[in-house]
Amino acid sequence: MAEQDWKTNRRVFAAVSLPTLFWVIAFFVVPMAIVWLYSFGENRGLTEIDISGTLDNYKRATEWLYLTIFGKSFAVAALVTLICLIVGFPVAMAITFASEKWRPWLLLGIMLPFWTNLLVRTYALMILLGSQGYANKGLGALWEGTSWVKTLVGLQPLPTWEPVQLLFNNFAVVLGLVYVHLPFMVLPLYAALDRLDRSLIEASLDLGAGHFRTIMRIVVPLAAPGIVAGVMITLIPALGAYLTPDLMGGTDSQMIANVIERQFKKANDWPFGAALSFLLIYAMFILIALQSMRRKVPEVH
Amino acid sequence: MDPMELIKQTRGRRSLLQAMGVAAIGISFGGLAACSKGEGRKLANGEEAKLNFYNWDTYIGENTLDDFKEATGVDVTMDLFDSNDVLFAKFKAGNPGYDVIVPSNDFVERMSKAGMLLPLDHAQIPNKKNIDPAYINVEYDLQRKYSMPYTWLALGIGYRKSKVSSPPDSWKVLFDSTEYAGRIAWLSEAGDMFRLYGKYLGKSVNALTPADITTIEKMMIKQKPNVKKFHEDDGQDLLLKGDCDVVLEYNGDIAQAMVEDKDIDFIVPKEGSQLNSDNLCIPKGAPHPKNAHAFINYILDAEVDKKITETILFPTPNSAAKALMPDSYKNNPVIFPPADVLAKCEYARFNPELQPLYEEAFTRVRAA
Amino acid sequence: MALFARTPRAPLEYSRTLWMRLWVGAVMVFLYAPLIVLVIFSFNDSKRNVVWRGFTMKYYEKALGNDQLVEALVNSLTIAALATIVSLALGAVAAVMLWRFRFPLKGAVDGTISLPIIVPEICLGVAFLMFFTKGLNWPTDLVWPFNLGAIVIAHITFCFPFVTMVVRSRLATFNREQEEAAKDLGASEWQVFRDVLIPHIKPALVAGALLSFTLSLDDFVITYFTSGPDTITFPVKVYSMVRFSVTPEVNAASTLLIALTVALTFVALKLQGVKAIAETH
Repeated sequence: MAEQDWKTNRRVFAAVSLPTLFWVIAFFVVPMAIVWLYSFGENRGLTEIDISGTLDNYKRATEWLYLTIFGKSFAVAALVTLICLIVGFPVAMAITFASEKWRPWLLLGIMLPFWTNLLVRTYALMILLGSQGYANKGLGALWEGTSWVKTLVGLQPLPTWEPVQLLFNNFAVVLGLVYVHLPFMVLPLYAALDRLDRSLIEASLDLGAGHFRTIMRIVVPLAAPGIVAGVMITLIPALGAYLTPDLMGGTDSQMIANVIERQFKKANDWPFGAALSFLLIYAMFILIALQSMRRKVPEVH
Repeated sequence: MDPMELIKQTRGRRSLLQAMGVAAIGISFGGLAACSKGEGRKLANGEEAKLNFYNWDTYIGENTLDDFKEATGVDVTMDLFDSNDVLFAKFKAGNPGYDVIVPSNDFVERMSKAGMLLPLDHAQIPNKKNIDPAYINVEYDLQRKYSMPYTWLALGIGYRKSKVSSPPDSWKVLFDSTEYAGRIAWLSEAGDMFRLYGKYLGKSVNALTPADITTIEKMMIKQKPNVKKFHEDDGQDLLLKGDCDVVLEYNGDIAQAMVEDKDIDFIVPKEGSQLNSDNLCIPKGAPHPKNAHAFINYILDAEVDKKITETILFPTPNSAAKALMPDSYKNNPVIFPPADVLAKCEYARFNPELQPLYEEAFTRVRAA
Repeated sequence: MALFARTPRAPLEYSRTLWMRLWVGAVMVFLYAPLIVLVIFSFNDSKRNVVWRGFTMKYYEKALGNDQLVEALVNSLTIAALATIVSLALGAVAAVMLWRFRFPLKGAVDGTISLPIIVPEICLGVAFLMFFTKGLNWPTDLVWPFNLGAIVIAHITFCFPFVTMVVRSRLATFNREQEEAAKDLGASEWQVFRDVLIPHIKPALVAGALLSFTLSLDDFVITYFTSGPDTITFPVKVYSMVRFSVTPEVNAASTLLIALTVALTFVALKLQGVKAIAETH
């Protein structure tokens, strides 16, 4: 049945629309508008900001320096999303085709970290990755083991183990982001795979296609909406990530959110920070627009 | 969208009720906590028995706040900040409710110029007499109109003795050498970093020009691959955990770490360094200004400051408190660097023109 | 265990192939190993999280004796509860509006409502910082729990679009003829809403509530920008603990939060049963 025109029932429309519109305008549009206005302002003295309509902030924000930071943030987010997809897809498959008894437990296993506080999870990963953390100790033991095996078969032993740098570099940032975003990817993938008509897979297998071929030619295309949803739901927060690069990054791991934060806290340049914020928001818009263009196919649900 | 449905399926309605139950308990419990926390209880001075203190980390005695409560009945809530800029940014938008803050010298100047600080009523701070006169008339706050000195500090190099070939007595080790590649940590404070590079190049911290900034930026980019981390004033932790072996830090922070780990030492490089001084101030709009004065006066008490100093191990400008300290403190070369090096150290003044240049140059260094 | 039973494998039982099991196992180790290490080290009798020096409970005593930490936890739970209740009402009403009516600028309204989901946290955080201080002059000296108002408002703004989203997808499966039938039988708008629509969207409301509660409890960045001395939340407190004093007290506090999450989940499981959950799918 079609949607009702608002004029046919103004009373009900008012009852449902006024609270919503009030909230959205007062507590979202107005605050964002303030930021937007400030992005056309400049610092006057120590605490005053003059909204003069200048475009200098945007000019500065589109300088090569900041564009490269945007580019880098995007590259990191894309890499994180790709890794999440590759790691998460088999997991989603496994959950989908698990026995009735195991499926809820596997789902729960994926979701429990998702409910655990982001900061707590990041901190946990940091403990593990430190120079004297267990990841390094494990690698060290592996190294010694290999060295021992080599001497056993009469080869030169490996040089002594030096702890590798796992924390405070770009690797740590990517790993940290994958760690916190993996559940975001697995859940929509699972939801899409679960709706899949299994007889199609069975038919493909019956007709002689191998498992791998079936997955690539049947499962992946049918799960496409879930893949797109998973990609968006991972890519967007990863692009705006602040905590992970802040806590786990090294000297060259700044992402755009860190630069924005610094404008508000350290550099004391609110108008410039506001301009950068809006550029980031525009970047999100472009992503969303690209995604909805792809979504010409009717939605699954 | 899909994940939400999943959440529904595994958690169900009852768990929501449970969560609500916990929250409800939380609410009633919180209500009680609020009642017991001195709300509504008035002191003789007409203020409620509360005080909000915004302080640096590891920067107060172990029992100072409890002792103050015992002495006056005032409940102190302490929050921590990690840089002067954060402090400034918080107050730029208006005082979020703090009574006493601890900005460094250049920020006392900056905040007083910006009209963010309340002039102190010296009559309410009789313990001012304990302060070494050398710290009363200072350039950044003439006659201490807005601030009382809490500590002073020197930047230098903290290092792990077993991991260095010789004591790193020059900034070269941190700024211009590959000797300790991958084991170096810098401070993430743009201004401090540029000024210290200036020191390394033989310039005064207050005499840098935009041209110097460009030169220094190039040097920083060249050195950056050897640097592991720009730390947020937690260099002592990096040192203790073994993540880094030579770090740029303040003397007192390293002195605290040395208590835990004997393999750590500190040196102020021979080129000289930058000195800072942290000060107790009352921001405008403080809800409890009388308690704030009482608190500042309490901290300046000789016995109280002695106890604080015993914990934080920073040089104190409080001569009465220093007199009570043991020789191991008074003669500690980490806490009180040798006079000849100290003579080459300077206080940085607030410079509104250069600050944004420092920040942008440092962003370029990070992005390089 | 059933997982290792030696019955022949059906073609679709991918989860019973060896490489799948290894893969899932590795992912689970990746997800849980850090948390387990964190929990173990909360019992470690050493100030640094490096070497095991013996079992102790003293960091739990310290964490629970830390008034500020407990207060932060209470604040977080209160904020989450309040934000959830309002988000639920607001989100449901917005979903009904978008589902039922056709009105001018609908596309714009729809887009704006879901915007808080995609606007990066950091941008929302600074927007609220400017809004409450420059725009509203929000008073900072209100009594508890009213001093949490600013944070609650901020949380509602980013939580309720999620509720709207979930409720809307549920409404899409609603058969409008039911509504018509109820009206034909003389039910008023309100009665239809209460007795027909609400029962239908109930599962979505539950899901939305859980989502809001978790999102609010988890939020750090936005709260970080809006909190003052009396309004510290648990994540903000943990952040300053992680940043400043890296002692096992942080581990202990984190372990308590993990325990809370696990406990809530298992209570839910106990009440509903694993079977029931699988069947609802």
